[in-house]
Amino acid sequence: MGVAVVENSQSDSRRNFLSKVWIGLGGVALIQFFYTTFHFLGSEKKSTANQKEERIQAGAIDDFAPGSVTFIPAGQFYLSRLGDGGFLAISRKCSHLGCSVPWVADREQFECPCHASIFDRTGNVIKAPAPRPLDLYSVSFEGFQVVIDLSKPSRRSAFDKGQVAYPGELG
Amino acid sequence: MPRNLLLHFRPRRIPRAALRFSLTWGLGGMAALLIVQQLVSGLLLSFFYEPQPVHAYQSVVHIQETVFLGRLMRNMHHWTGHLLVIVTLLHLLRVFVSRAYQPPRHRNWLVGLGLGLLILIANFSGYLLPWDQLSYWAVTIATSMLGYIPFVGDGLEVMTRGGEEVSGATLQLFYAVHSGLVPALLILLMAYHFWYVRKAGGVMITVGQKSGQSDGKESVEVVPELLEREVAFAALVTCCLLLFSMAIEAPLGSMANPQLTPPAVKAPWYFLGAQELLLHVPAFVAVFVLPLAILFYLVLLPFIDRSSGKSSTIIRAIFYFALAALSGLTAIGICFRGPAMQWVWPW
Repeated sequence: MGVAVVENSQSDSRRNFLSKVWIGLGGVALIQFFYTTFHFLGSEKKSTANQKEERIQAGAIDDFAPGSVTFIPAGQFYLSRLGDGGFLAISRKCSHLGCSVPWVADREQFECPCHASIFDRTGNVIKAPAPRPLDLYSVSFEGFQVVIDLSKPSRRSAFDKGQVAYPGELG
Repeated sequence: MPRNLLLHFRPRRIPRAALRFSLTWGLGGMAALLIVQQLVSGLLLSFFYEPQPVHAYQSVVHIQETVFLGRLMRNMHHWTGHLLVIVTLLHLLRVFVSRAYQPPRHRNWLVGLGLGLLILIANFSGYLLPWDQLSYWAVTIATSMLGYIPFVGDGLEVMTRGGEEVSGATLQLFYAVHSGLVPALLILLMAYHFWYVRKAGGVMITVGQKSGQSDGKESVEVVPELLEREVAFAALVTCCLLLFSMAIEAPLGSMANPQLTPPAVKAPWYFLGAQELLLHVPAFVAVFVLPLAILFYLVLLPFIDRSSGKSSTIIRAIFYFALAALSGLTAIGICFRGPAMQWVWPW
């Protein structure tokens, strides 16, 4: 009888140990599952990878009169040339909920059709609910060409002079 | 075999009192019926639908114009989808009012919440599929709302869209969720939901029974007593839906144009409460804190409200207040907001 009891407690502890191993392995498997799922879902889609050119030429510097706002269809953004000759490449995507914001030439402002946010020619908010100015793309100049880098729009909390790009001779 | 399987969902006999229509208003059964209808009409539509930009819109036009009974099928799928959200909300309300979330039904309440969430996901993922202006921009607005969630918002927004903007990748993702993930989970959870109802001894019989009825203990055969009533009600509901879908067209605007936001575009109606709030309170409160609070409240409800004392009154008052507020906001969003969310009078 005594032997049987010892055997029982031995097999009990072995069983305990094995079930702990199983639970541990299950935990590891679960972590692996979530890790791979997360990375799988985060992978870049084929159709979006080559959709947009990263850098595009908007045109010659002199094509854009100071004080004008021009929509550049190739990159889906506005090129705003300020009165002092500086350039801003402004995203058309409303900073509130992502609607496409048209430039209303009559009133010289961007007016969002979804929730009536209004932005000035620098993208600054004139009227809420938009929480921040329209995003910017970085502008550079190659020869006489205005070149815009579309890889990453940058957020800003307000307009300031530092965001404006000036062609070399004015700069 | 089928009879055996069904017997696990259904008892052989139930109390006569459980037959009373006003116990449930037929809402749970109606939700189940509508889900089955959606599975069937959705499957039929999927034979003709192509989940790529431009093709998607054209295939929906094809379904409407050329496919035999295609227009009716799409109308039914559309209107049943909206009705299902309403019926599910009413079902939740009915269960809440009769305190059926308390033990032994507390786990089933949680399963029901999961089903409710799935129905919202089903409806929202279906919203994009016609690929018209409304669906494109409504989904743009609704997914942009995710961006206001602190820390993970931007990542979540990109993940839901499969990119920076609503595009072909989004359509593919939404279609996979709508026609693959959601139906599979719905069927699983529904089976669980039904089985739990049986386990708890059937539907909750409220104490509001008229006194003088001595037949509280009397029981009846499920087949035919309950089954006949269910089939009759299901036929009535289906009939109404058919007539409605024959008379009223599911909207289909012009094809999605990512360059042009039309005026007066709104998020799906069940998100309009949140969108309306967004105009009045800080964004992260409207799209993060409040929805999370509502979710926590609903999940914890069966565990915090177990008696009927003073604390229970307060806990339940919160529900009614939140419900009234949300209904009010949603009604404002639906009826009183015109182009650019300016205030308009509907009459």
